[in-house]
Amino acid sequence: MQVFLQTIVGGVSLGAVYALVALGFSLVYRTMGLVNFAHGNVVTVGAYLASTFYLSSKLPFALAMVIAIGVTGAIGLVIERVLRPLENRDFDLMLIGTIGFGIVLDALIIMIWGATGRAVPSPVPSAPIDVFGLRIRTYDLVVLAIAAVATVLLVLFLSRTKRGAAMQAVAMDHEAATAVGIHVGRSNAIAFMIGAGLAALAGGLVGPLLYVSPALGGALGIKGFAAAILGGFGSIPGAIVGGIAIGILDSFAAGHFQGYSELVTFLVFTVIIMIRPTGVFGERTVNRA
Amino acid sequence: MLRRRATIVLLTALALTACSAPGSDKKAAGDDSGPIKIALVDAQSGQLSSLGAWELKGAKLAVDEWNAQGGINGRQIQLDVFDDQGDPTVGTNLARKIDSEGYIGMIGTAESAVTIAMAPTLKQAEIPNICSGQSPGLVAVGSEFLFLNGPTSTTYDETLAKYIVDGQGIKNIAMITNNGSYGKGEHDAFLKALKARNVTPLADQVVTTDQKDFSAALTGIRQKNPKVIFLGAEEVESGLIVKQARDLGITATFAGAAPQGTPVFLDTAGAKNAEGTIVSSPYLSNDISEASKKFAAAYLAKYNEAAELHGAKAYDGAQIMLTALKSSNVATGKELADAIRATKYQGLLGGFAYDKTGVGIFATSIGTIKDGKLVAASS
Amino acid sequence: MRQLRFAPLALIAVAAWLLPYGLDSYAIHVVNVILIFAVLAIGLGLCMGVGGQVNLAQVAFFGIGAYATAILTTRSGYGFWISAVLALAATVAIGLVIGTPALRVQSHYLGIVTLGLALAFTNWVTNAEITGGAEGISAIPVPTLPGVDLSSEYLYYYLELIVFTVVLVFGLFVVRTGLGRRMRAMRDDALAAGALGAEVPVLRMTAFLLASIYGGVGGVLYAGLIRYVAPESFSIANMFLLLGMVIIGGRQSLIGCVVGAIGLSLVREAFVDHPTVAQIGYGAVVVLVVVFAPTGLAGLPGRIRSWWSRRRGQPGTAARLQPFQPYPALAERADAEEVLRVTALSKQFRGLKALDDLSLTVTEGEIRGIVGPNGSGKTTLFNVISGLYRPTRGRVEFRGRDVTNQAPYRLARAGMSRTFQNLRLFGDLTVEENLLVALDRSATVDSWRYVLRPISVLRRNRDLHRQAREVLDRYGLTEFAGLPPKSLPYGIQRRVEIARAVAAGPSLLLLDEPAAGLNGEEVRQLSEIVRSVRDSGITVIIIEHNMGLVMSLCERITVLAGGRVIAEGGPAEVATHPAVIEAYLGDSMDDIPPVAEEASR
Repeated sequence: MQVFLQTIVGGVSLGAVYALVALGFSLVYRTMGLVNFAHGNVVTVGAYLASTFYLSSKLPFALAMVIAIGVTGAIGLVIERVLRPLENRDFDLMLIGTIGFGIVLDALIIMIWGATGRAVPSPVPSAPIDVFGLRIRTYDLVVLAIAAVATVLLVLFLSRTKRGAAMQAVAMDHEAATAVGIHVGRSNAIAFMIGAGLAALAGGLVGPLLYVSPALGGALGIKGFAAAILGGFGSIPGAIVGGIAIGILDSFAAGHFQGYSELVTFLVFTVIIMIRPTGVFGERTVNRA
Repeated sequence: MLRRRATIVLLTALALTACSAPGSDKKAAGDDSGPIKIALVDAQSGQLSSLGAWELKGAKLAVDEWNAQGGINGRQIQLDVFDDQGDPTVGTNLARKIDSEGYIGMIGTAESAVTIAMAPTLKQAEIPNICSGQSPGLVAVGSEFLFLNGPTSTTYDETLAKYIVDGQGIKNIAMITNNGSYGKGEHDAFLKALKARNVTPLADQVVTTDQKDFSAALTGIRQKNPKVIFLGAEEVESGLIVKQARDLGITATFAGAAPQGTPVFLDTAGAKNAEGTIVSSPYLSNDISEASKKFAAAYLAKYNEAAELHGAKAYDGAQIMLTALKSSNVATGKELADAIRATKYQGLLGGFAYDKTGVGIFATSIGTIKDGKLVAASS
Repeated sequence: MRQLRFAPLALIAVAAWLLPYGLDSYAIHVVNVILIFAVLAIGLGLCMGVGGQVNLAQVAFFGIGAYATAILTTRSGYGFWISAVLALAATVAIGLVIGTPALRVQSHYLGIVTLGLALAFTNWVTNAEITGGAEGISAIPVPTLPGVDLSSEYLYYYLELIVFTVVLVFGLFVVRTGLGRRMRAMRDDALAAGALGAEVPVLRMTAFLLASIYGGVGGVLYAGLIRYVAPESFSIANMFLLLGMVIIGGRQSLIGCVVGAIGLSLVREAFVDHPTVAQIGYGAVVVLVVVFAPTGLAGLPGRIRSWWSRRRGQPGTAARLQPFQPYPALAERADAEEVLRVTALSKQFRGLKALDDLSLTVTEGEIRGIVGPNGSGKTTLFNVISGLYRPTRGRVEFRGRDVTNQAPYRLARAGMSRTFQNLRLFGDLTVEENLLVALDRSATVDSWRYVLRPISVLRRNRDLHRQAREVLDRYGLTEFAGLPPKSLPYGIQRRVEIARAVAAGPSLLLLDEPAAGLNGEEVRQLSEIVRSVRDSGITVIIIEHNMGLVMSLCERITVLAGGRVIAEGGPAEVATHPAVIEAYLGDSMDDIPPVAEEASR
């Protein structure tokens, strides 16, 4: 029983990070129908930036995160600008274009920060909390809290602000949105910026949890994408649920199947997607036929 | 008509060429002038490139020392770097490349799988290779041109088991290893060493090389309440495991081979968490002997960073290669391989004397991590 | 002329044959590896470029072929060639399993699923005892061939060259004949392809089948060449590299894929000491290619040509539309049968009732008009009849058989054909190829002929081309035969779509707003065509807003409103029906949802 619960705790804490990654995927997808395969690499960039400001410039962790999110957001804008000619035109080509961006970012990361990684010390006192024999790291709680706050802020932004409403409109029908005077390009750019910012948030937060290296984002990106699809691609609550679900699935697979965990995780994922392609919360974007 | 003539021409060309098989070019290997060409093949990019970077630094230091003293027989030594990207396919390409470009010896790689992939080609081309892997699989290849610049996992883990089980009398041991080539080798070697002492591990957890959350495996281990946990994973993953284990309230001592003595491991785990870790390593620290102090000083002067095990191993490997070249009067091929086998060399890791299997050193020392530093264990 | 066409080919053949004489032992090894990647790239091109199936598991197919060969030769002690055949079979079997998600999901969903399965494969080989774990399997025996020592890389090159040529030619053969055409049609528009009788599920599996065959062949060659397999060789990084080759070369052209594979490999070889720089380079090229040259290197000559002719101010083409030549009329049959019977049909979209207990009967030889205000359910009715939508309730009978819930391609093959409201021509096929897709009624499951009876496939293909030319002639489209439909004026595109629907040889033709966007003269030609089509023995149902056309063309008209039939009868009868007048004046409903996307089906 204790193993069971502790596995869930471990799964949830990593799941929160997957959820943040998935959130970025979903936001970009629902707004512009683009699957950003470079998202995982953007996570790595965010992790490196945050850790660089935190370790080398000795800035407070929170400030380092904010700067990292800002810089990464700018990278998001660049990616969006370059791929703009393909928007609303060809799904598969855009997908491959972002893979190309991922390849470039990957190489740039190695050029700038080297191929070896770095360990980031935890910014909060690391003594875990003991709840009836279950050990919960304080930092995990911080990550969960930030993920929750980020989700709430995002939902508020989309539903309560003018800019957010415009983005919702673009998500529903970009042609109609253009017709009523919404600048679709700008909406897409903002979606991309926020998506990249969320990636940086996930990357920065995961730094102290794991180890920042060029390979960091690859696995997070694929799992995060799987999470977004599992929850229902384009759905905000879906991203959260999907992220936590993949985290827990991962943890249990690791516990029961040891070395074969990845095989099991992806087989289960494939079966779920075949049974229910729209995920838990269904696809929220309109059909683009 | 034109077509028929073209066909005839084509067929004639084919018939002519079919008589003589291509590829009868002779490489200019035994060349007696110009620099002595030695190839260093290692991952300079990709996940394992940190190992590659350390190896390069160590080997280059040795080569520079020799060149500063006038080289061998008046010839300079030229060390060229090739990047295998940690990919065996690329490795096989490079094996052919260093053959066709006339390199007479090879240093590297740090990744056993790549070395194993390259071995048949190098054997065929008769290019001696001193690699830095420690997998028993390297011995299993059975190439007389393949040498190791350190002990195999068997040695590391035998020493470790001896210290823990025989020396400390601890029998409550759990294992957590990854499924990569290093982790698998460690798993098998340590399990064998335990079996020989009639000890069954309390838990035997296998994780993947890119796993991030170990709570399931570690909680399972925690319930068994072992005294020592054996770690068979590379630096970073071992560090993560230790960090998460401490967070889960596991107080057991960790034990492992070379990676657990490195700064990367210490940084990832956090010095406090790694305190007391038992390490089996042929090179515990830079001030273990006069030679290592001298090496570490030169390394620091040249690269402005502290020397560590992999650099030291590559340094030893390069020294052995160069010594053999000198003693054999710059021989190549089989002669050079025999010269390496005959070389007795007192290196940073200890005394090298190669046997038939290509292993030259069979001892490691036990160290523990005290106050964030690896020091020799007081047993 | 014909001889000259073969001259460059002969030249390439001689050059390829003589190539090893100029290479040292390392270069020949590089060439051997490149050839393997070229084979893989062709397979990926067939699956992704031709079949439109995002396949990020090609590297896993490659791995399965290599690993199976390694296991069978070293562990089970089979000879190399027997192992090769078994390995190929294993790859195909697993390839079909990995392809099954394509039946349910497409595009990025398929991308992540195949990527996940590729990761699952590497995970498995890293762990399993039989695959040697992370250290892989070494000492794979040299393939034996009497009289030829294949341990020599030079002679191995010839083996690879022959295999490569065979698989390339086979690939081109597939692409340029019926199977490939149907796959390309499916790639461009799966809905329209299905409505023309292309068995979409079978074709998707065929795409994966081809990819896995090429992957398996690549894997076997790899095992024989490197004689060592380890998990790292089949990593995601190599998958993306392969993808880069296919995209840069031009995924829709197999030659392009080969050029991409050779080009990217050579560039990487040139930068072998600076892999990071090379990586930035090829990543950037992938981005630039998808943005500026989506057709890759292979598409460049065409783009330059069209740019050149535009610069010189030539009007696209001088092609002109010729008049339609009516079909020979069939004698009218007295005992007209019922062709279509729709009973109590309902279709609900979440809250919206698009069809509400609708019944309808159409008899042979009719031209039936279906009219109604926007949102009255006309197109939904077509979509249900032609199998694109599943009705919520009710049944559809076609020529006396219950066809409710049948797949569109089955209905098409049973003799139902349709056009779409917003043209669905296959954009990357020529006009003639659009027609060929419709004319070709051979079953995809009969594709074994490609291997066993290639001559009969060729003969059949020539036959189809002759038929296509007849159709082109009849519709006056001959001069547009080789052009992509997108380059044509709208009216001509409409005519192509009708020609295509009729070419499928239906007994029932559904036309969805065929006159939309046409000018007066074109509408007149349209009604002439529709009448002639009917006279040739095809029953026609037509949805149209152009009341003049409907009134003059149709013998009977069904009026829909709110998903129900509110009136039915002759033109004069319907026009004065009070319910009709009310419906048209009081029209305020929203548009019905457009045809749903595949992924959500």
